[in-house]
Parts: sequence; C-alpha cells; structure tokens
Amino acid sequence: MNAPPLLSLADVARHYQVGSERVRALDGVSFEVDRGSWVAVVGQSGSGKSTLMNILGCLDTPTAGTYRIGGRDVRGLADDALADLRNREIGFVFQTFHLLPRSSALANVELPLVYRGVPRRERRERAEAALRSVGLADRMRHRPNELSGGQRQRVAIARALVGDPSLVLADEPTGNLDSATGEEIFHLLGALHARGHTILLVTHEPRLASRCPRAIRLMDGRVVADGPGREVAQLGVPAVTP
Amino acid sequence: MSRSGRRRAELQESLGIALSALGSHRLRTALTALGIVIGVATVIAIVAIVQGLDRSFESQIQGLGAQTLYVSRYRWMDVSGDWWKYRNRRPVGEREYRAIVRESRVAAAVSPVVSVSAAVASGERSVSRAQTSGVGADYLAASGGALAAGRFLVGSDLEVTSRSTVLGADVADRLFPGASPEAVLGRRVLVAGHPFSVVGVMERRGHLLGLALDNNLFVPYTTFGQLFGSWRPMFLAVAAPPGRLLDLDDELTGILRRARQVPPGRPDDFVLNRQEQFLRVYRGLTRALYGVAVSVGLVTLLVGGIGIMNVMLVSVRERTQEIGLRRALGARRSTILWQFVVEALAVALGGGALGTALGLAIAEGLSLYTPLAAVAEPSAVALGLGFSALTGLVFGSWPAWRAARLDPVEALRYE
Repeated sequence: MNAPPLLSLADVARHYQVGSERVRALDGVSFEVDRGSWVAVVGQSGSGKSTLMNILGCLDTPTAGTYRIGGRDVRGLADDALADLRNREIGFVFQTFHLLPRSSALANVELPLVYRGVPRRERRERAEAALRSVGLADRMRHRPNELSGGQRQRVAIARALVGDPSLVLADEPTGNLDSATGEEIFHLLGALHARGHTILLVTHEPRLASRCPRAIRLMDGRVVADGPGREVAQLGVPAVTP
Repeated sequence: MSRSGRRRAELQESLGIALSALGSHRLRTALTALGIVIGVATVIAIVAIVQGLDRSFESQIQGLGAQTLYVSRYRWMDVSGDWWKYRNRRPVGEREYRAIVRESRVAAAVSPVVSVSAAVASGERSVSRAQTSGVGADYLAASGGALAAGRFLVGSDLEVTSRSTVLGADVADRLFPGASPEAVLGRRVLVAGHPFSVVGVMERRGHLLGLALDNNLFVPYTTFGQLFGSWRPMFLAVAAPPGRLLDLDDELTGILRRARQVPPGRPDDFVLNRQEQFLRVYRGLTRALYGVAVSVGLVTLLVGGIGIMNVMLVSVRERTQEIGLRRALGARRSTILWQFVVEALAVALGGGALGTALGLAIAEGLSLYTPLAAVAEPSAVALGLGFSALTGLVFGSWPAWRAARLDPVEALRYE
C-alpha cells in the first residue's frame, strides 16, 4: 500500500503544567490509521484517551512529537487554520450529543456547512440527505427535546457526516444511552464503516472495542496494546506490541 | 464557498442565534433593553423639544425683520454689565433720523421708534399697560408687520401731529370685543387720556419669548413727542434691500459717526442691532439645554450599556458548551466574536428603536397637548439609533471577546 495513512502520530506527547508538577497526559504515542479503517481507542479514565481525542480532533496540539492528518502537520497551525481543519476533516460525535436545544434537527446538522460557507439551499439538501442516511427522514423538523436519546445521537452522527469529513471521531457515543439503543448506534457506526468512512471510536467498554477490527489500548499516556479488537479488548494485562 | 459566502452565511447564522437566544429569555432581554430605551427616549424627546423651540423662535423673530438694522445706544441682549457705558451715551434721536433720511443711498425704509407703556381706554373698557410707540410712516416697511384693516400712519399724520392711531390686535380685541377689525376703524380711544381716532388695525403676530407682540398701538412719533416728551430715547429701524445688509451697516456707521461727531479713532457710541443677536443669545441657551439633555441621556445609555455587558457575560457563561461545540464544528474565534457582538447589537438596536419611537411619541404628545412645539427631525432618529448601536458595540465587545478566547476543549467540558 503506497497510499499515505490518514492519521499518523509519531512520538506525540501532551504535557500540562499543573502548579509545579508536570502532568504527562500523553507520553510518546505513535500509531497510524489508514483511510477506511475502524479503530477503537480503549483505556480507563486517566489513561489519556480524552487528551488523545482532543489532539486527533485538532482541538488541541501536541507539546512534542508530530501529528499529521491527511499528510498535514498540525504543529504551528494558527487557530483559524485549526478551526478550518476541524470543519473539513473531522466529524465529532460526543457522549452528551451536544445539540443546540433551540434548533431543529435539520438546523443542527446544517451547522458545519454554515462555517464552510455553503449556500443555504445546498446546506439544506445535504443536511436532509445526512438525516435520511441515519434513518431520521421523518424527524427533521423536531427539536432535540422532542427526540429520544438514540434519535439525538443519530442527529449528532448526521451532523458529523454532513461535511463529508475524512475522520468520524466518536467519543463514548453510547455512554449516555441504554444498552439496546447503544447497540443501535454502534451498528450505525458499523454501517458507516461499511460505506467507507474512517471511524475512530473512543470508549472505555471492552465489549464494544472487541467488536472493532482494530483497537488501541492506552494506559498512563502510553500505547500498551495495538491489534485486532478482540485481542486488545480481552487483554487483562498490558502487553507492549512492537 | 467563497470567503464572502462564508461571511454571509455566518452573519445570517449569528443573527438567527441572537434572535433565538434573546427570544428564549424575553424578560431578561426586555429588562436589559429598558435602560437603552429610557436613555434614547430621553435624548430624542429633549432634542425634539429644543428643536421645536428653536423653530418657533426663529419663525417668531422673523417679525423683527431679518433685513433690518436697529440703531440704538444700547446693545441688545448684552449681558456683559456695560450698562453704564451705554447709559452715558447721547441718546439716538431726531438728528440721526434726519441724517439717515438725508444721506443714505442704501436704506429702503427708515422709521424712528419711541415707546412708553400707557393706558388705553374706550368707554368702559381699558387696557392698563399697552406698549404705545411713536413711529414714522415707513415703520411697516422698516420693521415688518402687516395691517388687518384700514391704513397705517402716513406723512400728513406726522406733519400735522394728527391724533391718529393704529391698534395692535390684542388692544383692538380688548377694547372692542367681538368687533371685526373693519368695525373698529373710525372709533375713538383715549391714549393716556388723550383722544385718538383709530385709522388701522394690525394683524396678529403672536408671542416672542413669552412677550405679547399684539398688546400695542402706534401713533405718529411727532404727536408722541408732543404728548409724552421728545426727550425719550428712541431707536431707528432701518431696512436694507435684499442682500445689502452689510452695505447698509457700513453706510450707516459712516453717517452716524458724522452726525454724532465721533472723532476718528474713537469707537462708535451707537450700536447697529440685528435680530440675529437675539438668535445668538437664544441659541446659547438652547445649546446649554442640549448639553444637559445629552449628558443625561449618555449617563442613562452608560447604565444601559453596563446592563448589556452584564447580561452578555451571563449569556456567554450559560452557553459555554455551545461555544465549545461551535468551535469544534469549525467556527473561528472571529465567528464567535461576531455572534455575541451581533447579539449585543440586536438588544441595543431594539432598545434604541423602541426608545426612538417612545421619544418621538412623547414629543408628539407634548406638541399636541402643551404649547411646546416639538419637532422630530430625521437626524434625531439617526442619533438615537446611532448611539444605541454604539453602546451595544462598546459594551458587547468585551463579553464577545471573552467568548471568542474560550479554549474549545475546556468549553466543551464546561458544566
């Protein structure tokens, strides 16, 4: 395969200064993610999952090491450039959905296109298509409080897809849902992967990670396992891979 | 996907967000805007009242004749305390009048004016203090005014010191209530006990600075001298042809300096007064009133602006997660900044529009139900909206800047 990887992390570190103490939230993380793959990032809270997600999502930048998305090094990018990068390359799905409560499902899904300057009519068409693709064709005009938890997360997924990003970054997308609904959302992500989307699923549930083709386990800011989801998820003890 | 397309889309989105955010906190929005409403309404109403005063004063003062110089030893509306300087000057009198009539080539009309306050009576009725003026035949041309009926004084009245009089509208009304001006002609009146025959009645002129302009009557100045003494200080009304007021000023200065034998190098011992001196003093007064009104309005706007800032800070805190989300979806800092500036502007402009309408309504009500003639100029509306927009911009900027500086990661996590 000569195609460059979509994501490439080389010795990425993210340190925080908390008082006199230096917190190493990420400490030399390296891996690559190819286009069209489905990767789970697992680890307990405090393992550096959130920090890694922030960096992968270009919400934050590494203090050391190199992170490339689509071959582009994010280091030294200005704030505006990072915002544009997020807008084009990343589709976020959050645990708490983060929908605008006073806007319809359609308006919520249109939002990334607003920040891209897409004309109103095209925005509407693309948002409708995205909502249809997650099975919400009949809920477009509803506000979030008129939707169930699963439907809200579908709206959020439609919003993540509408800008046709390189990467869908899902942070505990089933964390606020009951297990049946969570299963539904997980299946939806699987379907997106099947359609060719690159999915990165951050989760603390080994059960979900075990069903992903690939999983990366973090502990104390380091990658302790990287391999087929079934194996990594079941690892009771850390095993460092080459 | 051009830059301008993005700007427009973001601006529309900002406006939508602002209106929906404001709409979901109607009471809070209304209370925030109230300060602006009161401030703008105050300024607009007072500006309209002052403009109305100006307007009516100017139209009234036209009665004094814009093209007329009034020769006197006093300076009108002089508040400098130089009264004694004027008091010791030689009075202006017959000699100056004759000199101007004889020598002036520019003057269109000249008339002496000398006045006392006298009782006027007809039968049982009387007016105790009417301004009785001795004037020349050219008085109307020199100083302005028009007849409602009859004729004004003529040359022969002056030559023979006739007992003819022209009554002001108020005097005519009070001596002959209900009678038309024509019916008053030929009637006899007693002016300070001296019998006079009415030959004319003046048209009504109204008020000037609260002074009734129609409580007066005119008699020949020659007759006036006989009855009331010719020592009384007079002034001379001299009208210039259109556009030649300055020429007249120059010419009169020369004529009067010769007539009054002012040595070269000495200052004039007389004054050529103009109606615009009234205007100048009056404008000085209204400018002070303007200043007070605008200061009050600005203080109110300041308070309103602080209210806006306070509510915007609350709004930013309440919507921290939303800001984080928008940043994650690709909103730039400037986009967030604009979103909140637009919101502050919407509150301020809404309040400003309401305040402008309220201020205009107050002005309208005042001019309907009080003697004040308030005038609402388009410039007042622009002023009200401009000031409220400025307030929104100034006091919305800091909260908006704080919103724009939020770190997306922390904003998303904010509870």
